[in-house]
Amino acid sequence: MSIKELAQRPLRSILAYVVPPTVLLIGIIAFWEFYIDWRDVSIIVVPPPSAIIERFFEKPDFFWEQGWYTLYEATLGLLFGSLAAIALAIVMAHSKLAERTFLPLAIAIKVMPIVAVAPVFVIIFGFGTTPKIIVAALLSFFPMLVNATTGFRAVNEGAHSFMRSVHASPWQVFWKLRVPSAMPYLFIALKITYPLALIGAVVAEWFTGNRGLGVVIWSANQDLNTPTLFAAVGVLAFIGVTINIVLSLIERRVLFWHESVRSTT
Amino acid sequence: MATNQNHVSLHDLTHVFADGRRSLTALAGITLDVPLGQFTSVIGPSGCGKSTLLQIVGGLLEPTEGRTLVHGDPPRKAQRAREIGFVFQDPSLLPWRSVAQNISLPLEVDHLERSRELPGLDNVLELVGLSEFHDYHPHELSGGMQQRVALARALAFNPALLLMDEPFGAVDEITRSSLRYELLRIWEGHGGQAGRKTVLFVTHSVSEAITLSDRVIVLSKRPGTVRADIAIELERPRTEEMEQTRQFLDYAAELRRLLKEDPE
Repeated sequence: MSIKELAQRPLRSILAYVVPPTVLLIGIIAFWEFYIDWRDVSIIVVPPPSAIIERFFEKPDFFWEQGWYTLYEATLGLLFGSLAAIALAIVMAHSKLAERTFLPLAIAIKVMPIVAVAPVFVIIFGFGTTPKIIVAALLSFFPMLVNATTGFRAVNEGAHSFMRSVHASPWQVFWKLRVPSAMPYLFIALKITYPLALIGAVVAEWFTGNRGLGVVIWSANQDLNTPTLFAAVGVLAFIGVTINIVLSLIERRVLFWHESVRSTT
Repeated sequence: MATNQNHVSLHDLTHVFADGRRSLTALAGITLDVPLGQFTSVIGPSGCGKSTLLQIVGGLLEPTEGRTLVHGDPPRKAQRAREIGFVFQDPSLLPWRSVAQNISLPLEVDHLERSRELPGLDNVLELVGLSEFHDYHPHELSGGMQQRVALARALAFNPALLLMDEPFGAVDEITRSSLRYELLRIWEGHGGQAGRKTVLFVTHSVSEAITLSDRVIVLSKRPGTVRADIAIELERPRTEEMEQTRQFLDYAAELRRLLKEDPE
């Protein structure tokens, strides 16, 4: 069930999809609050939801601003990582030799624990936004590469033959056939890589920097300031969910023709 | 250009599929001339190389040996001149494009501006009976309608040669029969006897081959060779009633015998 479709439906059926998860969420929060009160859990271990919400509303502008920095770094990283991955995917989709040459290196990047290497980027690129963007780009690179390569190859054989039979150039085949055919795969990849880019930016912020949710989480952790830590995590979760909803909305419009969209309508 | 000229001319065509370790001879020494404006069906058992033959004529596949000429030129040159209209078993439409956009695809890839009379989108849509479906997308159409869009796409740029690879193979029997007569109506009505397109039609249906064709080529089992070349001398326009005539049934019996008696 999509948001777009929800918007076209009467209020009662919108409620039918919104109410159950909301009730569940409220239930979890209520149980959490109740449990901490009941067992008298220290705020240093886990804060009650009321304390987290209170902390957020003490300085919402601060949290949004930090979230905005992190989102900015993640988005730039995603952009660079995806562009590099798509460019390489186009080459690999056309040439098995290129695939044999580049894929092992790409896999090496994938299996490398980026989080462990992040401090190295800080040493090389300093304390600005660059190392964060690089870590975010590296994390989003591989899933995009694999999906895009599959996508650019996933062309309908008959449609390809037809285009060749009217002497379409490889360039025309690419724009009119390969790119649209790859779109469903690119959307799948974006839904995977955007959260990864966020993780990359946050982790890079742990090591350096003076702004962003990663910095907030790290310093709150040092100070055993759990309400601030959880509030920052909450903002991060909110950003992740919003990104997913926005991507789904765009996907609905762009991929109206694809089975993945049609099967849910 | 004389009307008795051969439109498609195949000489000693052999094709071998090889992947390093194994090789498979699909076609072995096919020699065949198809005159301008003739409707020729190619029939044969599965895997006899019918589709391979069509791909070679259409310039999609380079034969291992032999010579292929379309209008006296190599198929690639005929492609460039947009002389070849392909229809496949799978409609092979672009799902993100509307019916009208799918049909105009071959016009967009036209890099060689030619002074050619184009039938016009609306006329082509009307010809295949889809005028109402201009803005529909393929997933909103039935299989038979999608195949009519594929036919319209091949007709849109008015090629002189139509290559049809079991175009009605993927639709149900009733639709199949109606599409068959619709194709005949379109083809027979196309600019009189002289202006008719040359059609090379691959099928494994005996009745389809007889109903449609001026001539039926029977291929042998793999490797494919020309086993028989039969002229179908039924009157045109062909009608459904003809399927019950003595003459039609004799052709059918002969073709079935040829297909069955294929020696190992």
